[in-house]
Amino acid sequence: MTAYPQVKSDPYAWPFDGRFSPADTALIVIDMQRDFCDADGWVGQHGADVSPMRAVIDPIKTVLERLRSLGFPIIHTREGHRPDLADLNDNKRWRSAREGAEIGSAGPCGRMLTRGEPGWEIVPELAPAPGEPIIDKPGKGAFYATDLEQVLRARGIRNLIFTGVTTDCCVHTTMRDANDRGFECMLLDDCCAASLAHNHAAILTFTKMGDGLFGTVGTSAQLFEALS
Amino acid sequence: MTSHVSGLYPWPYDGDLRPDNTALIIIDMQIDFCGEGGWVHSRGVELQNTRRAIKPLQTLLGALRPVGYTIIHTREGHRPDLSDLPANKLWRSERLNGQGIGAHGPLGRYLIRGEPNWDIIPELVPAPGEVVIDKPGKGAFMGTDLETVLRTRGIRNLMVAGVTTDCCVQSTLRDANDRGFECLLLEDCCGAADHSNHEAQIEMFGLSNGLYGSIATSDDVIATLAGAAA
Repeated sequence: MTAYPQVKSDPYAWPFDGRFSPADTALIVIDMQRDFCDADGWVGQHGADVSPMRAVIDPIKTVLERLRSLGFPIIHTREGHRPDLADLNDNKRWRSAREGAEIGSAGPCGRMLTRGEPGWEIVPELAPAPGEPIIDKPGKGAFYATDLEQVLRARGIRNLIFTGVTTDCCVHTTMRDANDRGFECMLLDDCCAASLAHNHAAILTFTKMGDGLFGTVGTSAQLFEALS
Repeated sequence: MTSHVSGLYPWPYDGDLRPDNTALIIIDMQIDFCGEGGWVHSRGVELQNTRRAIKPLQTLLGALRPVGYTIIHTREGHRPDLSDLPANKLWRSERLNGQGIGAHGPLGRYLIRGEPNWDIIPELVPAPGEVVIDKPGKGAFMGTDLETVLRTRGIRNLMVAGVTTDCCVQSTLRDANDRGFECLLLEDCCGAADHSNHEAQIEMFGLSNGLYGSIATSDDVIATLAGAAA
């Protein structure tokens, strides 16, 4: 299997110990759902600006198609709750109601953040291909109450490339949890977004400090350079 | 009867605040993060930014202990044989000056269980019977029995403090929130190596009026306790 040289990311070339290949490396696309990327979805109903999230659809699509064509495993996540809300924490529900976007209540694209509803679906531009694992998660982090770790270990995945939304919430919660589990992580700056740009920037600062406390930050251009 | 701490939003959300369902968790107030001769100090970081949490925490402990709140302490550290240390964490720690996790510092081996520098600072030493959680990662849930301890004691509300705001405090808070714990970040009882990161993390935490919980100060908690006693 083809192995590729390190990506010239910051603060160090990733992965730390040398080459990467489809046998040990996966792309994770976090929560690129209408609920996060569409003005009619859950985040939009909070009154937040979804244009930063929409802006990363194309860069993610480019990375996704390239890695898919090279045989890298692609993993998608979706945040959402069971229709009966049995997995929804009371305080999460209370907070969302306070913001005028109660989880499980009816919105312009169906019940907000509820599995099976149109708003919960991944945006069509980034639709998973047949056979690509989709992780449905009730929290911000993709490890808690899911089989993500089992899926990664079973496939021998050791390195993770992070894309998706939002940088400061679900992307970084998942990256922190992956890092604690020993996965070697790289976040792609131009393929992640937050509703507020300065929060996205602060996360990049946290990630890079201490010689990469949670991994590294790269760009899709740097990734493509390594792949070529 | 309900009781709230005033803050980003009145906490806990439902007013169910009692000593038997609420804990204070103090993250990593160890010499390695807050003391001379420790890990962070060896990397040229100003200790005042992490030590800012000490005095408010001492005052808060003085108010919480007599009324029976559960107090939990965490320590980041690895087994002496490093069998729980991911290879990339070791490699990164050695890049700055070759003195990585497990290397010998002036007090002992950095971030290694049982070494003097790995201990909690004397100002905040755990009282007999208080729970201490030893963790190999940033988050206090992974690879530990923290969740079992909390569930067994019936803890639902968590006041979170310690160091560093943007790293271990935040990782633990996020994981606690996903698990349904109702969290309160105590702003004055936390610190980061770089204070601007502390401020950025506090601001981010306030998104959507509390995506992961509420924010208050130790004074706000103490005021609530005083109100309950009156």
